[in-house]
Amino acid sequence: MSAIESLIGEFGRLPGIGRKTAQRLTYHLLKGRPEDARRLAEAIDRVLAEVKPCAECGNLSSEAPCEYCRNSRRDPAQVCVVEEASDIAAIEASGRFRGRYHVLGGHLSPLDGVGPDELNIARLLERLEVGVSELIIATNPSVEGEATAAYLHRAVSRFPGLRVTRLARGLPVGGDLEYADGVTIAEAFSGRREM
Amino acid sequence: MPSSASAPIEATGQARSASLERLVARNYRNFGDLQLELPEAGAMIIGPNGSGKTNLLEAIYYLEIFRSFRGARDAELVRFGEDVFRVEGTVRTGESRDALAAAYQKTGRRKKVELDGAEKERIGDALGTLGAVVLSLEDADLVCGSPGRRRRFLDILLSLVAPGYLASLQRYRAVLAQRNEALRQGATGMVEVWTEGLVEPGARVMAEREAWIESSAAAFARYHEEIADGWTGRLAYEPALGGKADSREPAVGGGVAENRAGYGTEDRVAAWKDELRRAVSENRERDRRRGSTQAGPHRDDLAIRAVVEDSGEERDLRAYGSGGQQRTAAIALRLVEADTLRDKLGRDPIYLLDDVFAELDRDRAARVVRLLDEGRSGQVLLTAPKPSDVELRGGGLARWRIREGVVFTDG
Ligand SMILES: [Zn+2]
Repeated sequence: MSAIESLIGEFGRLPGIGRKTAQRLTYHLLKGRPEDARRLAEAIDRVLAEVKPCAECGNLSSEAPCEYCRNSRRDPAQVCVVEEASDIAAIEASGRFRGRYHVLGGHLSPLDGVGPDELNIARLLERLEVGVSELIIATNPSVEGEATAAYLHRAVSRFPGLRVTRLARGLPVGGDLEYADGVTIAEAFSGRREM
Repeated sequence: MPSSASAPIEATGQARSASLERLVARNYRNFGDLQLELPEAGAMIIGPNGSGKTNLLEAIYYLEIFRSFRGARDAELVRFGEDVFRVEGTVRTGESRDALAAAYQKTGRRKKVELDGAEKERIGDALGTLGAVVLSLEDADLVCGSPGRRRRFLDILLSLVAPGYLASLQRYRAVLAQRNEALRQGATGMVEVWTEGLVEPGARVMAEREAWIESSAAAFARYHEEIADGWTGRLAYEPALGGKADSREPAVGGGVAENRAGYGTEDRVAAWKDELRRAVSENRERDRRRGSTQAGPHRDDLAIRAVVEDSGEERDLRAYGSGGQQRTAAIALRLVEADTLRDKLGRDPIYLLDDVFAELDRDRAARVVRLLDEGRSGQVLLTAPKPSDVELRGGGLARWRIREGVVFTDG
């Protein structure tokens, strides 16, 4: 495979990018200044080298622990569980939440071979042993997100004093948190309910 | 609605009517570049088997449900040696016109649906814009085929007329697939987390099916009796709750329920939620043994029976009907479907009649013609292998011929 074809192929594997867009991106890079393309390559290199999942919460960060876990002004007694690290940015944009996060790294999906062991759940249960009073389950309102919420609810039932809440259903059904706007997420937080 | 059996369609004027004015089918099945202007009353299309008669109706109905009514996969609809098919239609309702288009590309398996020039992000948003019903010789299969065939009938119709039905059905299927996979994998604690997700959309599907069946039972009985001369027809909902005898006795009044405004009410949704939750929980062991979910609307059925009123003799047509009885029941069911569409659209649907009069004796055919004419003014596109003396819309249908995917409109 030619160098051009292989780059087109790589772009084409990214989400939301079809073959046409992949071609456009490739030729755009080739036509532009070489240093621009090199900066892209270096940026990719750098995130690969520096970014790691936070050992505490699973968030992707170049700091260890991540910026939320090390921020002492964020309330460690409130933990918000999300499917992906990218969901955190959406919740932050709402400005409504000042606690800590926990990133599962996906959702339960037997069809994709994802069970509880494939998700960052064991670490969550460890975190709940000390000083957490509320667990906010912010998995997506999709089929899989709801089942994951149901699973978590059951899994944390052994922490008697723990308040377990679920974001309100203002979110578009089947839609991803990632794509919801700040106001919608803020409302979902205010309307969260005891599970 | 006034009876207008012999009046020309244009003259009735009172009821809002709609017709397909123009049809284009490119590289669809055996059509290369078919372009047709259709008469307002409709046309009778005569052609030998294999000439493309059914393909023509299938292409038109593609604009209603964006799938083949024969259950063919999209890739099979692309003309041999081609990659893309495209179907376009212009529907006139009163003075307004809607342009519908659908295209499918084999490579990349891409489907595109356009309404008035704008591509629809979700195909569901353009479902049912055409407003059409198909009556086909193959419909006997609706009655004697597997329960899946009847669920498909309910699912297509309710997706067209009941808001939210399609979304509930899709969500139910998505949860079901996950739950069944969890059952197959046999991982403990991983099955029950899907159950509640099944209950909410499942109950909505059940409530809509039940409501439609109950509100349609009376009309079905009447149509059936009229065609079958003495045998009245009964419809009943058979929800699959995992027990041995699931059959709901025909709704109140011996299968003839009161007409109800609208479909599944919130009360019924709540009731079905309880029943479905209970049934799924009762079947936990059976589910585990069989590796799949036993109870739920994915196993529902629609009971279709014929009864002789005097003797009370009752026959389940699904298993014990003759071919003729099954075709009769299927036609009655399609007429109820047409009424349902009419309630939703506020106008008569377009009637696509695929060789429906074949294998009906003269008397029955005449009675079906009467039912299709009385109070119905929708455009008719009727196919047949040979010219017949069937007269619909007061003999006002154009007479066309079709050969090898080419339509001759000069009679
Ligand atoms: Zn962290």
